[in-house]
Amino acid sequence: MGVADYIWMGILSVFQGPEAFSIFGIAISITIVMVLAGFVLGIMVGATPGLAGPMAMAIALPILISAFGFNPDALLPVMGFLIGVMKGATVGGAVPAILFNTPGTPDAYMTTLDGYPMTQAGQAKKALKLAHVSSAAGDTFSDIVLILCAPFLAVLVERYLDLPEKTALLILSLAFIASVIGNSVGKGLISMGLGLLAVYIGTGEDFYPRLSLGTQTLAQGFPVATAVLGVLILGEVFKSFEDLWHEARANTRVAEPAQAGDQRLHWADIRRIAPYVARSAVIGTAIGALPGIGSTLAATLGYASGARRHAKRRPGAVQFGKGAPEGIAATEAANSSVSGANLIPVLSLGIPGNAAAVFLILATESIGGFNPGPGVFRFNAETVNPELVAAFGLFTAMMLANAFNWTIGGAFMRVAGVMVRVPKHILLPIVLMLTLTAIYVQEARMSAIWIAIGFGMLGYLMRRLDISPLPFVIAFILGGKLEDTARQAFAATGGDAWFLFTHPIAAIFLAMAVGFVALSLRRPKQESS
Amino acid sequence: MKPARANLYLSLGCIGFALVLAFVWAPMDSGTGLIHKVRRQVSIGDALAPTLAALMIGLGGLLVLRERDAPVQQGLTRANLAFVLRFLVMLAIGFALMRYSGPLLVWLFAGDQEYRNLRDTAPWKYIGFFFGSSTLITALIASSEGRFSWRAVAIAIAATLVLIALYDLPFDDLLLPPNGDV
Repeated sequence: MGVADYIWMGILSVFQGPEAFSIFGIAISITIVMVLAGFVLGIMVGATPGLAGPMAMAIALPILISAFGFNPDALLPVMGFLIGVMKGATVGGAVPAILFNTPGTPDAYMTTLDGYPMTQAGQAKKALKLAHVSSAAGDTFSDIVLILCAPFLAVLVERYLDLPEKTALLILSLAFIASVIGNSVGKGLISMGLGLLAVYIGTGEDFYPRLSLGTQTLAQGFPVATAVLGVLILGEVFKSFEDLWHEARANTRVAEPAQAGDQRLHWADIRRIAPYVARSAVIGTAIGALPGIGSTLAATLGYASGARRHAKRRPGAVQFGKGAPEGIAATEAANSSVSGANLIPVLSLGIPGNAAAVFLILATESIGGFNPGPGVFRFNAETVNPELVAAFGLFTAMMLANAFNWTIGGAFMRVAGVMVRVPKHILLPIVLMLTLTAIYVQEARMSAIWIAIGFGMLGYLMRRLDISPLPFVIAFILGGKLEDTARQAFAATGGDAWFLFTHPIAAIFLAMAVGFVALSLRRPKQESS
Repeated sequence: MKPARANLYLSLGCIGFALVLAFVWAPMDSGTGLIHKVRRQVSIGDALAPTLAALMIGLGGLLVLRERDAPVQQGLTRANLAFVLRFLVMLAIGFALMRYSGPLLVWLFAGDQEYRNLRDTAPWKYIGFFFGSSTLITALIASSEGRFSWRAVAIAIAATLVLIALYDLPFDDLLLPPNGDV
């Protein structure tokens, strides 16, 4: 089978998959329906301050797996839904930022700087349309880069990296993530070390489950979903809940300024924002391709870069921070272009770069039959590689989500403005119960709930001590793979204890890992990613 | 913990924990050591990976020690600890109700039946989840609002019913808490 055959089979697997319903005799596949449902849910979740895409993905995962089962047919509908949520949440985050000066997601903070002044000036609908176009353009660009880069990177990895090099690459990824996330490289390393420790409890090659202290609970190890949901979702819920307790709950209604004037988006507007969208899309894609660096930094850099250009080229126009349409475009294109590129390390190396990617990997692990990593892109002319077909199916689902974004995303954004009125102090207890129930239905034991609450408390403490939980989660997911690869490399090199140093590429990766940590020590850090 | 010394305490705690992990917990609680030799074949032992995790935690602690005089340090306050305690008590009450209200009501009203035999039968299978979830959500809303209200109870009941509809009604293979344990 040639490359074109694989691509065509991937496209067909989305459009000719199991049928959900038919319209005028035309079968609509379940994957298309799930991508649309995920996208709409994502916009609503993104538009709700206090909720985020990964939360919706975490809660939806056990329901999706129960609905679709553990079989190859489940992969595309489930992943399509999660991809839809991921993309929808990025677009939705701009809605309350523009309408109510409240970012729905952290990466939409910069959108408030120009979006809300436009709303105050009676241009809310136009601001939403600008955000939509910029976000959709950035997202589409990022996906195209993903589709073009991931297979080549994976082929390079398979061709040139052997077991010692793959071990060193995993160490490099972990060191990079620990160094770049958060305000302190020391705290990043602590977070990573704790994640590694947690995943090694109750595992190992010996009959005795290590670090189990002789207890049955620890001997079983910590389920991935329980630990990840605990630290990422429950930790955030606990912290938000305490913040609410300490705030005087005024629950004031947000005043909506009267809207007037021309709200349409003209060709001249598009031409005006195009250079800013293009520049930010490149910045966001480059940042997204590096694991661990989030969309918030991409939005900040895109905005800063756009502001410099705007001040230089158009000093007489409305400047960034005062209601400039270019400011919305620069921010939204940058933060949206992270999502596609973030899947480059996931699909080509099996390394998750952000929280959304973590849940995509969890989904593939739960369903089975698709192991993100360089093995996916093994082109085989004699026999069909089902993982490669699935990968092109995923790319098709992503482009389908983009098509939904371009066509109906704007309409849903305007509707989603209502979500800002959902009171957070009512929403958070329900999210907590949803998450705990999601954990229970997967594990079917009360101890799983208490383990999740324990990890939630760890996540809460980490946030209070300004330690990012993301290195913990990524180390938890990669820890087992790191140990297995190192064991295999050690065996394959005949018990050479220095295998990481005697292979040139591995040694370069290790030097880079040390270099990143050393550079981060010299870099003054201002704010959390 | 005073926020001004938060980094110092965090650093010392991490270094201490790393030392215990590397020199006590990992070597004494693993089946094999750092390196393992079976039939002249040398392989990586089970204690190596946790020891490297300890190295990361200890190294992180040492680096945080460099930041002990940072002007802005986030730490735990007494208010944070009070919140954690209150929150855990509410969770414990909610989950105790969830675990025991079903068996209790079966004991009171279902004659000589055991809850275990009824845990997949409506309405018994919903009792524990209904009471536990409703109580927990009500308590959390009421604590945020600073007062008890019937509105909070109504919201909690509605949310619990939606959760039941979401997780139990469409799926035969999913068990609501606590029905997997009892």
